[in-house]
Amino acid sequence: MNKTSLLTKSNLRKNRGTSVGLFLLMVIATCLIGVSLLIFLDCYPSVSKEAVRLKGGDGYISITGNLEGFTDEKIDELIKDDTDSHYTYRNLKLTNHPVKFGNGEVVISIDISDDSAFTRPMNTFEVIKEDTSINEDYIYLPYQFNTSGGFETGDTFELTDSGKTYSYKVRGFLNVVYGGCNNTALFAVVVDNGSYKKIWDDTHAEYENINVIYDLKDGVKNGKFRINAFNDMLKVNPGAVIEGYDIDGVISNRTFIGLIIAVSFLVATSLIIAAVAMMLANSISNYIRENMKTLGALKAIGYTGNDIKFSLVIWFLIIAAIASVIGIVVAYMVMPLFASIIIGQMGVPYSVTFNLFATLIPVAFVVLFTLIVTVICANKVSKIQPIVALREGVESHNFKKNHVALDKTSLGLNTSLAMKTFFGNMKQNVITFIVLGFMIFCCVISLLLYENFSRKPKLDILATEICAGVVASDYETREDVLDYLEKRTDIKNVREIINMNVYYNDEESLFCYIVKDLSKFKNTNLCYKGRLPTYDNEIAVSGSLAKAYGFDIGDEIRIDYGDNSFNYIITGFIQTTNNGGREAIFSYKAADHIMDIDSIPGWYWFDLANESDDVNKNIEEVNRIIEECEDKYGSHIISTMNFFKMIGGAMTTFQGISVMMLIIMCSISVAVIALILYLLIKSLVYHKRKDYGIYKALGYTSGSLMLQTALSFMPAVIASAIVFSIVSYNVANPYISLFMRSFGLMKCDFVIPVPGVVAIGAGLTVVSFLLALLQTRRIKKIEAYNMLVAE
Amino acid sequence: MKNVIETKKLCKTFSNGGIQQHVLKNIDLEIYEGDFTIIMGASGAGKSTLLYSLSGMDKPTLGSVKFDGTEITKMNTDELAIFRRSNCGFVFQQVYLVDSMSVLDNIMAAGLLVYKDKRVLAKKAGELLKAVNIDETLWGKFPTQISGGEAQRVGIARSLINDPKLVFADEPTGALNSQTGKAVLDTLTKFNEKGQSIVMVTHDISSARRGNRILYVKDGEIAGECNLGKYVTGDKERHQKLNDFLATMGW
Repeated sequence: MNKTSLLTKSNLRKNRGTSVGLFLLMVIATCLIGVSLLIFLDCYPSVSKEAVRLKGGDGYISITGNLEGFTDEKIDELIKDDTDSHYTYRNLKLTNHPVKFGNGEVVISIDISDDSAFTRPMNTFEVIKEDTSINEDYIYLPYQFNTSGGFETGDTFELTDSGKTYSYKVRGFLNVVYGGCNNTALFAVVVDNGSYKKIWDDTHAEYENINVIYDLKDGVKNGKFRINAFNDMLKVNPGAVIEGYDIDGVISNRTFIGLIIAVSFLVATSLIIAAVAMMLANSISNYIRENMKTLGALKAIGYTGNDIKFSLVIWFLIIAAIASVIGIVVAYMVMPLFASIIIGQMGVPYSVTFNLFATLIPVAFVVLFTLIVTVICANKVSKIQPIVALREGVESHNFKKNHVALDKTSLGLNTSLAMKTFFGNMKQNVITFIVLGFMIFCCVISLLLYENFSRKPKLDILATEICAGVVASDYETREDVLDYLEKRTDIKNVREIINMNVYYNDEESLFCYIVKDLSKFKNTNLCYKGRLPTYDNEIAVSGSLAKAYGFDIGDEIRIDYGDNSFNYIITGFIQTTNNGGREAIFSYKAADHIMDIDSIPGWYWFDLANESDDVNKNIEEVNRIIEECEDKYGSHIISTMNFFKMIGGAMTTFQGISVMMLIIMCSISVAVIALILYLLIKSLVYHKRKDYGIYKALGYTSGSLMLQTALSFMPAVIASAIVFSIVSYNVANPYISLFMRSFGLMKCDFVIPVPGVVAIGAGLTVVSFLLALLQTRRIKKIEAYNMLVAE
Repeated sequence: MKNVIETKKLCKTFSNGGIQQHVLKNIDLEIYEGDFTIIMGASGAGKSTLLYSLSGMDKPTLGSVKFDGTEITKMNTDELAIFRRSNCGFVFQQVYLVDSMSVLDNIMAAGLLVYKDKRVLAKKAGELLKAVNIDETLWGKFPTQISGGEAQRVGIARSLINDPKLVFADEPTGALNSQTGKAVLDTLTKFNEKGQSIVMVTHDISSARRGNRILYVKDGEIAGECNLGKYVTGDKERHQKLNDFLATMGW
């Protein structure tokens, strides 16, 4: 055995507590980096991989309404020049249909196919799980119904159309590219052939839908292709309703909320890793300080500085190597938990696979970081003279001030002595202050997610405009319905808002909000720069569109609709997470330049006059209003939406994620604080062991000394809790918005509940004190007599 | 004379790797009020173990120690700590002042365990520091900024701050040169003359001369006892008596 391994073994044997503390910190750090990377490098790409595997192509076009003239040959003729391949099939599509989902319902288009869906050459449906004992009147639902919609096989699923209810047994769940997630505005289902024929016959094929799945040729841009194809198709039959999504948009819609939360997780994780890294450096430095006497003795008997340095590096590298390997194994073990949360929103089957980068990067990071810190800290060893080291590295004390003089202070004895310890350990205070502060910040970010995605969902993140309900009437009754709604006393702020797809310069499809009176618009956070349009030549566009094409406020933008186009002046930028960040808003008068705004149906958004804090009451109230409208106008009412009811369905997936995030982040914070206090207190007690011996000889009890030591951490803890609670409250939104810009949220205005922040600050303060008290138990083992005989 | 400590069959055994070492063997002993008791003996004889067993700093393996009539061997660690506050003062060979506290604070830290009134305590601490010849200019200094002799005298002041029934001194001059050692002994003698009971362990004859009662520990037992009477500077007869006693003990 050579001298280095002798020293390394001795280090490991003698410093078990420090080794275990550092080991656990390294495991946590590696695990957190590993989980974050696995989410980004393995979990999220699975949506794209599944889209390729199920042959989703580059996008799809859906044609409904008047389908006359749309033969397969005609469609082929229209798009063959731009596509490498395409596949056309027909099925049924119920638009704006309410379905039960999670805690509420979603109003969404339902794409109904028969079992031919399983054998299509493109956009193939795949069964993930099924109960083959169910053989009639069955339905296959998208997998998301199982992961977060609350459905199991054998459950009953109902579709209601024109007063007729179709009831099915859930036979299984589907993996589908388009229509697999409540954020993609479409759910794709498969019913047995008999049931399919029944709906087809009942509806007289009124809901027939032509789907075109396409693969574009190289160099053909999706946006431009769709605009050309839409225009060409409208020329075939202007009565057709044409919609479509590109694959990137669908993937983005399936992942964006989960991604927002994953990014927030990564933000919080990075802070935890920073705290762990700082503690790692401090522990290594402390080890050298604590073992100065031994190091001096080794030097005295002939070991060189490099021998000792090398043994230290080997020691810490052994810990880092083992901890990082275990950390990454733990990351793979806990990943299914995180994955189950995330796939709940994505609706894509996913099982953790080995990812080389997600495995190597965390291990390499922890090992390299440890190596660098150890080498830097160990350099001190080379410079120390043996005789100085033998005196424990202290040549002379340098106390500048006698803090808290006991004859003058008005503090109690324990507090006074705690304050003396506090002032004598500023390095410990700085670390405590920063680490606890980072943990408070992490918890506040988690609280923010919980508050805005779970407790009181912030709908203006998900929807450009929010309201209580929407009633849409056909062209014939639009004035009457508006008059009827405005005269009702149980609703207020009735506003006319129409959604249409327009185009920018033949390049991009823009989901446009056409608003009659913009002063009634409720979402005041929508426009984050400039202002909403007022005049008929003005428009506000999404920030991400402006960024992509280099627009500034005051620039002109050409908007096309059919054969019409008009140049509008950009008055402001709006933020949106929907429709791939491609949205715009302008007034009825402005829309009149490119479309006949008077000939389209009326869409009326309204708020309740007396909104209750009880969501169920609001749901009932809006239902009542909608039912009364339907009773009065019958089939003239073409669509309705109960927003309160939709919230439950739309937010179901996010609620689970954010609650889990809050629990995980708070648990990790407490674990990190516990480990860091363990290492700090262990080091403090070691350095003050002689003092504790003296105190005990004088008559101080263990309990008194434990209290003093725990109290000595409290000024830093309390200061950190106050400062970082205030900082977190003020900084969390701008900090999160740095990361959210890429999702279209340019200006975050999340609600951060002050009582929650206070609870986090106060809670972590109390937890820190209790943990400190718990970890000062080692003081009990110090005996005055042992100190005396050891000399 | 009233005794402060009374031991019955006091035993202390250390066990190391299954081998038992009997350091104190069935010691029956009384320490009297007002005495300056000296415990002498060869290295490893058990004199320091006896001192710390008497003071409640260490727990005997068997036997009884009654301090001012109170049995202390049954007390737990915290009860012993509270007991020591007002009953015992300690002067150690290595001084053991808290380095991060000023001279005055070192004394206050001990005194505050008993005294509630800081002004009264601060006044008393000042008087004691003056009594042990620590100049006021040194009160705000840290232990590492004063000499070893000064530090030891601060240690004596600290041991006396709570008016203990007994001061235990373990080789208080062991780490000092003869001149500073003499100053420390003079201080202890001065307080003994004022009525302070002291038990001191030493293997230095000139230090032992300060005591009025000498106990000689040999192989864990009190091998002999000698009463020298009141200390008088330069009393050759007294010195001779001590030398003769030590000679009989095999010193």
